[in-house]
Amino acid sequence: MASAQDLEFRAITKRYGPVVALRDIHLTIHAGEFFTLLGPSGSGKTTLLKIIAGFETPTEGSIRLGDTDLTRIPVARRNIGMVFQNYALFPHMSVAGNVAFGLEMRRRPRAEIDRRVREALALVGLTGMEARYPRELSGGQQQRTALARALVFDPDILLMDEPLGALDKNLRQNIQLELKNLHRRLAVTIVYVTHDQEEAMHLSDRILVLDEGGVVQVGSPEALYHTPANRFVAGFVGECNLFPGDRTGGYISVRPEKLRVGRDAEGCDLTVPAELSEVIFVGSGYKLLLRSGKLDLIAMVDRPPEVAIHEAVTVGFRASDGYLVQD
Amino acid sequence: MIVGRPIPWLGIAPLLLFLLVLLVWPVLSLLLDSLADGAGVLGHYQRLWETPIYRRALGTTLMIASLVTVLSVLLSYPLAYLLATSGPVAARLLLFVVLLPFWTSALVRTAAWIVLLQRNGVLNSLLTGSGLLAEPMAFVYNLSGVLIGMTHVLMPFVVLPLYAAFRGLDANLVQAARGLGAGSGAVFRRVVLPLTAPGVLAGGLIVFMNALGYYITPALMGGPGQTMIAELIAYHLLEALDWGMAAALAILLLAVTLAVFALFQRFFSLERLWGGAAGGGVASPLAGERRGPGGRLAALAALAVAAFLIAPIVVVFPMSFGSSPFLAFPPADYSLRWYVSILDNPKWWRATVNSLQVAGMAVVLASLLGTAAALGLSRLRGRFTGWLEGLFVMPMVMPAIVVALALYYFYAPLGWLGTLWGLALGHTLLAAPFVFITVRAALKNLDPNLELAARGLGAGWSTVFLRVWLPAIWPGIAGGAVFAFIVSFDDVVIALFLTNIRTRTLPKVMFEGIAHEIDPTIISVAALLILVSLTVLVLNLLLRRR
Repeated sequence: MASAQDLEFRAITKRYGPVVALRDIHLTIHAGEFFTLLGPSGSGKTTLLKIIAGFETPTEGSIRLGDTDLTRIPVARRNIGMVFQNYALFPHMSVAGNVAFGLEMRRRPRAEIDRRVREALALVGLTGMEARYPRELSGGQQQRTALARALVFDPDILLMDEPLGALDKNLRQNIQLELKNLHRRLAVTIVYVTHDQEEAMHLSDRILVLDEGGVVQVGSPEALYHTPANRFVAGFVGECNLFPGDRTGGYISVRPEKLRVGRDAEGCDLTVPAELSEVIFVGSGYKLLLRSGKLDLIAMVDRPPEVAIHEAVTVGFRASDGYLVQD
Repeated sequence: MIVGRPIPWLGIAPLLLFLLVLLVWPVLSLLLDSLADGAGVLGHYQRLWETPIYRRALGTTLMIASLVTVLSVLLSYPLAYLLATSGPVAARLLLFVVLLPFWTSALVRTAAWIVLLQRNGVLNSLLTGSGLLAEPMAFVYNLSGVLIGMTHVLMPFVVLPLYAAFRGLDANLVQAARGLGAGSGAVFRRVVLPLTAPGVLAGGLIVFMNALGYYITPALMGGPGQTMIAELIAYHLLEALDWGMAAALAILLLAVTLAVFALFQRFFSLERLWGGAAGGGVASPLAGERRGPGGRLAALAALAVAAFLIAPIVVVFPMSFGSSPFLAFPPADYSLRWYVSILDNPKWWRATVNSLQVAGMAVVLASLLGTAAALGLSRLRGRFTGWLEGLFVMPMVMPAIVVALALYYFYAPLGWLGTLWGLALGHTLLAAPFVFITVRAALKNLDPNLELAARGLGAGWSTVFLRVWLPAIWPGIAGGAVFAFIVSFDDVVIALFLTNIRTRTLPKVMFEGIAHEIDPTIISVAALLILVSLTVLVLNLLLRRR
C-alpha cells in the first residue's frame, strides 16, 4: 500500500445552517489502523466520513494526512477509496468495468489496469465474475465488487460506510472475518462507520464513539467495554447494569456476565434483593432478566437459576467488577 | 457546497428561454388579442356568453368530454383486469394490442374508423349482408362517431395507469377477502375498486383534459351537432377570419383545461401515470388467479374491448391491397395498385420528405433542450423547481389547437408561416416535455451515491457526466426522442395552421384527403404509417427491456 501516514483532525466543526453536525473534533487515526466511527443515527459519523472523503468541507478546522493539508484538496485528487452503504456500483458497467474505473481515471496503461483488476478481484474472491453486471450479483458479491473497486488503486485510506448493513446476519459475520483478514494482509488504514456496536467490537483496533456531533470516547474495544467514559458509552457498547452511586452522583456499571445471582452472590461486596422476571436460554448459558426496586437488571449465567420466575433472589457483584461512570 | 459544481441554470436556461419566447409570450399576446375589441375590454367574452352557438358548443364540449371519460373508464376495467390476471405471454400480447393503437397516429385511426363505420362501410355491409339490418345505420358523422373515435384514441390513458394499479395490488388481499367469504362481486367492489380508484381517477382526468381540446376526431367523425370549441377556433381563424373571437375561444379553452390540470396536479403526478406502460417482464401478482363466473364475464368483456382497440388497425391492411376504387372489406381481389399510386404521386413524396425533415429537426432540438433542462433541474433546490417543472410540461397539457393558434399569431407578422423550420420549432415545443419527463424519471432513479463514488475514484465533472450520468439516462433520452419523433410525425393540428401547400406534412395531406373524401390511397398510406408505428413501438419495447 501507499506510504502509511496518520490522518489527523484539527478542531473540525461542521454546521448546516443552525444545526451543528460535528463539534470540535480533535483526533488522530494511526497509519494502518482499523478505526471505527460508532454512534446512533444522526450522531455525525457519516458526516465525518464524508469530510475525510472530501464530499463535505468542514465549516472550521482542518484535516491532514501526514504532512499534507487535505481540507481544500478536491475529492478526485485525494486517493481515498470508499465503499458505500448501498455499494453505488455503476449499473451499466460490468464487475471488471467498475473495478477498472478508478485506474482509468488515474490514466494507468491498459495492461496494468487489466492486471490490477485481476489481482483485486482475486483478492476479494471474485475471479471469473469479471463480465457480470451488478444486477446479476448477490448482495455479498456486490459488496466484494465495491471493496475491490475501492482497493484497486492502492488508496491511502479505505472508507466504509455501513458496508454490511444490507446483508443478512450469517453473511455479515463471514464478511467481517474476511475484512479483518484483508486488513491484516494489506495493512491499509480503514475508517469504518457503523451503528452496530457488536460489529465495531469485532472489527476495530480502536473505536470512536460519537453522540450528537461530539466525541464521547476513543479507545480500544476492551477499553470501551471495561472502562466506558460515561453512561452513554456503557449503555451503547454492550449490555450493562447501572447501579446509582450514592455519594458521587455517577453510576456503577456492571456487565451482565459479572453480575452474580443466588448462591453465587454470597460473599459479594455489594448485594441487592431482586425478583426474577424472565429466563432466556441463549445456547452458551442463560440470560436472566431481574427487577430490583425500580432497577431492571440483566445477568448472564452458566446454569439455570435456582428459583422460579417471580420468586425473590439475591444478586450482587464484586467491587473490582464494577466501574464508576459519570452521568 | 462542492467547488466546481456547474450552475444548474446553465441547463435550465435554454428550454426556459425557448418556452418564454415561443409559448408564454404568444399565449400572453393571445390573451391581449382576445381583450382588444371595439365593443370594450370583455367584448369577445360577452359575445361568447350571449350567442347561443358558442354556449351550445361549450355545452357539447363538456358533454362529449364527460361521455368519453366515462366510456374510457368503463371499457378499461375489464381490459386491465384481464391484463393483470393473464399469464405472461397472453398479458404481453394483450398489452401489445393496447399499445399499438396508442402509438398509431390518431389520424390513421380516425381514417380507419370512418372506413369501418360509414354508410357503405365495413360494419354496415356486414350487418346488412347478414340480414341483421335492413337499412344501413349511421354510425359516423354524428355523436356515436365522435364517441367511438375519441374513446378509441384516449382510452389507453386509463388502461395503462389502471393496469399499473392492478399490478400493484397485493394478491394476498384478494385471497384474504375470498377467505373471509367474499364472492367475485364483493372482491371487486370492496377490495379491487377502492385500491385501483386513484389510478382510474388520474387516467380519467387526463382523458377529460385531452378530450376538451380535441380537434381531429370530432372534426372528421362528427356532424354539425357535435361542434366542439376546438372546431370553432379553427373556423374563426381559417374561415370567418375573426382573430379576436378565435383568441377568446382559445383562452376560454385554455382556462378550463388548466383548471382540470390543476386538479390533477393536486392529487397525482404525471410521472406516475407514465409508469404503467413500463412494466412488461415481471409477472403480475394476480396472474394465475382462478376466475369465478364474474371473472369469466369480465374476461369476455375484455376480449371485446381488445377487439375494439385493434379492429381499425387490422382492417386497414387487407383493404389497402384492394384493387377497386371503392373500399371494400374483404376486397374482391388483391393488388398493389394503391401503393403504386402513392409512389406515382409527388404530393405524397413531398409531404413525406417534409414530415421527416421537420421531425428530424424537432427530435434533435427537443432532445437537447429537454435533457439539459432535466439535468439542470435535478441540481436545483428550492421553491423554483415546482414552478419550472410545471412550465416545462405545460405544452403537453395545453390543447394543441391553442398552441397552434398562439404560434400562428406569433409567426404571421414575422413571416415565419409556411416555413419548415417554423413548424419544427412548434413541434419542438410539443416534444420537449416528453424528453424532459423521461430523462427526469431516469435521473430520479439514479443513485446519487454513484456520482460520489465516481468522484471519489478520481473522476472530474466531465467524466461523471459522460461515464456515469449519460449511460444511466441514455434510455431516458432515447425513449424521449422516440416520443418526440411520434409527436412531430403524427401532428396534424400545428401543421394545419402553420404550413402551406409547399410545406404541408404527411398528416396534413391525409387530413385534407379524409375531410374531402377517403380514397384507397389514403388507406394504403395509413397502412404504411401503422407499419412505422409498429417499428417504433417494437424499438421502444426493446429499449425498455435493456
